[in-house]
Amino acid sequence: MSTPTILLIVFAISLIGAVMAYRRASTLAAAQATQLHSRPVYHASYVACWATIPSLLLLAAWLITAPILISTDIRAKIPEETLAQSELTEGLAYGIVESLGSGLRVLPADERETVTDQTPVKDLSALLRKRGVPVASAGADWMVPLAVELNALQVISRWVMTIAVIVLAGFGAGWGYKKIAPRLRARNSVEGVVRGALIAASSIAILTTIGIVFSMLFETVDFFSRISPAEFFFGTVWEPRFSAAGSTGSAGSFGFIPLLAGTLYIGAVAMLIAVPIGLFAAIYMAEYAKNRSRSVVKPLLEVLAGIPTIVYGFFALVTVGPFLRDLSTEINGLVTGNYSSFIQAQSVLTAGLVMAIMLIPFVSSLSDDIITSVPRSLRDGSLGLGATRSETIKKVVLPAALPGIVSALLLTASRAIGETMIVVLAAGVAANLTLDPFQPMTTITVKIVAQLTGDLEFDSPQTLVAFALGMTLFVITLCLNIYALYIVRKYKEQYE
Amino acid sequence: MENMQATFNKGRAVQAAIPIKMTSRDVTVHYGQKQALNGITLDIPERQVTALIGPSGCGKSTYLRCLNRMNDTIDSAKVGGEIRLDGEDVYDSAIDVVELRARVGMVFQKPNPFPKSIYDNVAYGPKIHGLARNKDELDEIVHISLRKAGLYKEVHDRLDEPGTGLSGGQQQRLCIARAIAVSPEVILMDEPCSALDPIATATVEELIDELRENFTIVIVTHSMQQAARVSQLTAMFHLGDLAEVGPTEKMFSNPDDKRTQDYITGRFG
Repeated sequence: MSTPTILLIVFAISLIGAVMAYRRASTLAAAQATQLHSRPVYHASYVACWATIPSLLLLAAWLITAPILISTDIRAKIPEETLAQSELTEGLAYGIVESLGSGLRVLPADERETVTDQTPVKDLSALLRKRGVPVASAGADWMVPLAVELNALQVISRWVMTIAVIVLAGFGAGWGYKKIAPRLRARNSVEGVVRGALIAASSIAILTTIGIVFSMLFETVDFFSRISPAEFFFGTVWEPRFSAAGSTGSAGSFGFIPLLAGTLYIGAVAMLIAVPIGLFAAIYMAEYAKNRSRSVVKPLLEVLAGIPTIVYGFFALVTVGPFLRDLSTEINGLVTGNYSSFIQAQSVLTAGLVMAIMLIPFVSSLSDDIITSVPRSLRDGSLGLGATRSETIKKVVLPAALPGIVSALLLTASRAIGETMIVVLAAGVAANLTLDPFQPMTTITVKIVAQLTGDLEFDSPQTLVAFALGMTLFVITLCLNIYALYIVRKYKEQYE
Repeated sequence: MENMQATFNKGRAVQAAIPIKMTSRDVTVHYGQKQALNGITLDIPERQVTALIGPSGCGKSTYLRCLNRMNDTIDSAKVGGEIRLDGEDVYDSAIDVVELRARVGMVFQKPNPFPKSIYDNVAYGPKIHGLARNKDELDEIVHISLRKAGLYKEVHDRLDEPGTGLSGGQQQRLCIARAIAVSPEVILMDEPCSALDPIATATVEELIDELRENFTIVIVTHSMQQAARVSQLTAMFHLGDLAEVGPTEKMFSNPDDKRTQDYITGRFG
């Protein structure tokens, strides 16, 4: 039976259990003089929990462990000497066995019976191909019995699992139903289940983060075992593929500095433009705008935040970049008489400018929320002393909102650092190390994408460097976020 | 109309011997469609404490906020009638609101020290109005204001600590010091003790009594005892009207108005 079917049956059992429990509890409530501890609906939930939770846990455990157990069992039976003769690795051999085995299940019953341990692999492959099941050509005759056995094991495992899960669901429902009594604290038990579910949800988020970090960590360590960290962190040349072609010994230059410089430079230009504009927009909206204009302007700004960054990339590529280039041509021509552009179409400035447009709504929306949350009493206090509105904002509101604003800005900075699409289209992919904002540069994220796309083996430093870059980027943004938290804490202590 | 005229007369010419600091004639306030004050006429005597009492929502805080035009900060509020400070029309277009608020300071219900040091809290007003030419003068203003507010002894050795770290009563006295520092002529207090415990309340009340020497004070309060303890003149508001106004002693011993009588004896509120 397929897993969705099993789930459906379990839910059906729990539903039936819940309905019965509701009836039973209602009858008890009506019949007995004593009052129920919990309302009937909690008794129903209580039984439903007993029916679903243990059985679903069993289902999950089985689905995870059974394939592992079966695989170890079958792998142990793969003959060593045949593996030594052919070029097959154990993993690949098991893969073929598995695909043969799962192919068997697709065959109609009468055809499946014709397959025995003695069937040559050629016949079986032909049979499967006829049914549209693709089979690797590297099959060998010894695989057939293993495939048959694997298939048998899987079928048995699934049947046992189905029965066990359904029985457990039924048993759970019965157990819960049996415990229904006027004084049963079903309400408290349900509360416990809710709490558990919430804890599970939040730990999934945390575990995922840890998982992501580790998936990068191992590859990063692998990378650093090939390229020395000093070369990576302090190298000023980024040419990973160049010298790798041909000579396998030397791996090319993995200088991280040009990428870091590009990332920080573009980010800094973007923040330099976005922060004042966004902040002033926020101050206007929070302090000066009448309700009516605020109700128009704020949603409009937030629409800007919803535009996918690739669209900003088009904007940079098609409009801003050429515009800046032509503008520089005109300026150069007017000043020196030499009509040649000094701003390239793809440049740090273009990327910074367009990224700033992307960031403005973030800055303004976050800051606006923070500024409006400064208590009105502080404004009144300042105005009551005869301060003007802008004095009040400058001396009272902004200082009070500062920790929030700083953390909003750091959050925005993390976004600027992590941005990829705008940079690809607006600043190019050339890893230059320059101070000239009119030249193209590139960022860490762009290079991660570049290293991971294309036809690369997974054990070359050219690919692994992407993980090192990702890890570094992760650490940088993590530090920014921790710093933001630290600032918020520090000021909160001071101001509350 | 007759009733209005009666209130009009009630508000005026009380204690004719004492000079009048602020006058209001037929002051009305609308919040959007809703009328919150229906023509208040009241004279505020100089260097006296005037208490505004009355049940919640009667308009006493609204009236108080008219006196230094704090109602301007509320978009929907519209003020009518006439308020004069030393004969100058407060709502005249020629008047500078910022200057007015420096002359008519305000202390709020909830202590609202700025998230700055104690020193900077008090120095805030003098700084923005340019009252001190140098650091020494500023120091002096801060110290004098803190002394007048009776807070100096408690905080003189930690002036650079945040004002928000003080206790509630100290915070409120800090706010009073902050208001004093710009040397206003009138101080408006909107239920200044409602967030304080009895001991802090007593300290603030004593302070109000001392401040009477130098400042004209208008205080909104919910506590009858407080009005009786600190004020010389009491005005009773009811549903946006001025029910009665008179010397505090008389108001609490022998009120003319039935509503005042009921309110101070606790029969409604």
